[in-house]
Amino acid sequence: MSVSGKLFYHWMDKDFDESLKFIDTEQLGDIPYDVTIIGAGVVGCALAYKLSMYKLRVLLLDKNYDVGEATSKGNSAIVHTGFDAAVGTLESELVTKASREWPQLAKKLKIPYEECGALLIAINNEQNTQLDKVYEKALKNGVTDVQQLSAEQVLELEPQITKNVLRGILIPRESIADPFSTSIAYAEIALSNGVDILFGIEVIGIENVDGKVKSLITNCGKKFDTRIIVNVAGLGSRKLADLYGGEPFDINPRRGQFLIFDKFSRSAIDHILLPIPTANTKGVLVIPTIFGNLIAGPTAEDFIIDDNTVSDTTVERLQELLDGASKLYPGLYEQSVITTFSGVRCNCSQGSYWIRCNDGHQGIITVSGIRSTGFTSSPALAEYLIGELHEKLGLNLNVNPVAIDSRSESSWPGWWKRPYSNNELVKESPEYGRVVCYCEQISLGEIIQHLDSPLKPRTLDAIKRRTRAQMGRCQGFDCMVNVAEIISNYCNIPLNKITKRGPGSEIISTNAEQYQ
Amino acid sequence: MNSVKHFNVLIIGAGPAGVGAAVALTKRGIKSIAIIERSDKIGGIPSFYKKKKGGVRTFVRWSRGGIPVFGEDYAQWLEKQLIKTKVQIELQSQVLNIDAKKKILTLVSPEEGEVNYSADAIVMACGSREETPAERGWIAGSRPVRVFYTKQLLRLLDGNHLLPMNNPLIIGSDVIGYAAAAKLKAAGASEAVIVDNCSRPKCSFFERLYFRIWSNPDYQGLSAKSIEVTGIKTASGVNLNGKNIPCDGIVICGELIPNSELALNGDIKVELHSRKPVVAKDYQLSEPGWFAAGNILGGFHGAEWCYFNGQRVARAVANYLS
Repeated sequence: MSVSGKLFYHWMDKDFDESLKFIDTEQLGDIPYDVTIIGAGVVGCALAYKLSMYKLRVLLLDKNYDVGEATSKGNSAIVHTGFDAAVGTLESELVTKASREWPQLAKKLKIPYEECGALLIAINNEQNTQLDKVYEKALKNGVTDVQQLSAEQVLELEPQITKNVLRGILIPRESIADPFSTSIAYAEIALSNGVDILFGIEVIGIENVDGKVKSLITNCGKKFDTRIIVNVAGLGSRKLADLYGGEPFDINPRRGQFLIFDKFSRSAIDHILLPIPTANTKGVLVIPTIFGNLIAGPTAEDFIIDDNTVSDTTVERLQELLDGASKLYPGLYEQSVITTFSGVRCNCSQGSYWIRCNDGHQGIITVSGIRSTGFTSSPALAEYLIGELHEKLGLNLNVNPVAIDSRSESSWPGWWKRPYSNNELVKESPEYGRVVCYCEQISLGEIIQHLDSPLKPRTLDAIKRRTRAQMGRCQGFDCMVNVAEIISNYCNIPLNKITKRGPGSEIISTNAEQYQ
Repeated sequence: MNSVKHFNVLIIGAGPAGVGAAVALTKRGIKSIAIIERSDKIGGIPSFYKKKKGGVRTFVRWSRGGIPVFGEDYAQWLEKQLIKTKVQIELQSQVLNIDAKKKILTLVSPEEGEVNYSADAIVMACGSREETPAERGWIAGSRPVRVFYTKQLLRLLDGNHLLPMNNPLIIGSDVIGYAAAAKLKAAGASEAVIVDNCSRPKCSFFERLYFRIWSNPDYQGLSAKSIEVTGIKTASGVNLNGKNIPCDGIVICGELIPNSELALNGDIKVELHSRKPVVAKDYQLSEPGWFAAGNILGGFHGAEWCYFNGQRVARAVANYLS
């Protein structure tokens, strides 16, 4: 992929690659940006991707050291049809629209995607009475391919689930995809089409907020000039809106904990298993992942905005999840939980999909309250936002004739298309035959290939999300240090400076001294 | 890919058990043997405990009068024994999957790519790993950097001469945890705090007495149901019984779980939770011609036990072949 955008990291360590270091705005050219997107989550990246189809100067900023490093990395990875969305809302409209685009999008972006279908299951009378309402709602949302199933039909599709099933609904197009590759693919294509990307940059102030060209003041001491500001900063969108005095709204981060089961569990379940929400509880989902695991979750726990335990897990809630999920699939008690995680939904008290154009000032758009459906809706939401930018913020759209909209064939992740199954490739590059991550069977060649990929990932977690090394059942027991050594050798960064998520998360305590 | 190399015996894993089996099978006159190892060296876990001046000797050679040695020394001794046998050694070779009925292994290596090996008998000497926090079930909290398993600590401390933390906290109170505390102290860290979900440490009194040469860690038993790791970017402590124990790094030690995934994948019977392969008499697994040796059998055994166990399994394999 040829790259015409510029990519830099605000990573000041002397050992970090000079050519990737952001030092001054001169590196980006002197002309102000047409659009600056603040927040490189799945929505920010999707918007950068869609905007890169036009002749525009676009900047994508994030305070973290990879795309999708905050709310976008922890979710159920379901591509929803929108069958149960609140009828008539923007969320419902965008989700149903996007769900029809996804099969094509996944092919273009080279994102593993599987239409596994979902089964909504009633296991008690209260749920049974709800089932018809859900069916009606699906039809109202335009999801007309749903099918009502008898208990026998449900058990034929999923023989391993609870025998207490009374009735069910099959939603054939509910799908699963790789949540990590999605933001990455959007951003890689955007970069190649000329979008500039900066990591490690946090906006701390805005000057000339009423002017045609506004100035973003950042933590690196440099200012960035831009005509339009797009606030897609997720949990940070509230704080950012305060900098320009946008219309008041509140974010209540809502935590969702998940259990990840070992791959041996996957053969038992083919569909996403959905409980029917009742007055008392929303219930626990059992979801196959595209990677070949099963996950169970989520919880729904409300937090206040600055609580830094929001991404923690708790033993009590995890046990509740296991008990809840086992109501649908009792065999889960027999399976091993290899790890757990918490996702955080960016929940807006004033309503989901809180979008305000010219928020407080001309040329600023606030996009918040994009909850867990943001992963699904991202392509349609990005297009909707471009429409708003054009109509309400006066952004001129001229198609860029040389822009590309897809990644190359070689971008398929190695865990999806095993490189060492191609003996010619191993003969040519033996590193593809050297397995580094034993559990997920990931080769040295794949790790090096990703270090060289357009966004130049340099952290352990960024490599983990791209290759799956460290994501298996041993959770890095065998390969964490191997991966750190590979990054160190290949990028000339001393091993003690290798980080999990960027500066401040070094694997070696900075006070510790080398000893012999 | 389609060509299959045939052997009398294939051994998966060149740790103490695998080497023990290879040596004993050779002595019994079995000619064509290959040992397959996914890492780049022979010796298994002991090879990560490097020799160091003033360092901690953690491996006891009971057969030589109970002398404590460095793991690296023992691994080198194993390598010498193995090289004498002329067994075919395949390093950096990962077994991807198995066909239990046909006794075929599909493996991948930098030299050959994907290849199939078959054998009359196969010994799984795949060892074990430490359980993840989720598998232990009582550790939750945040996911910062500098929460290591013992093997990772060894790779940094002994393999790369890096002391990853100054104030260590160790979760797991068996001999592996006490050895880690001693190694960290010997490398210049302060005295560790060891935490576990039992009132008394799992490490025996005599072993603890031995490690007192280097360190005297503080033991904190858990009375609550769980502990939470704290720290946003880097580990800053754990919440235990309502109080925070500060640290700048955590090591998760012990609680071994067998590396029996290949067996599970190949429909060889394995107990689901403990991951122990189901063993009939003479170390035979549920498919004929398949055997298990060493720590894959479950539990936690020293290197020398595994070596001798490999030899016992070799006897069973030889009987099976004749």
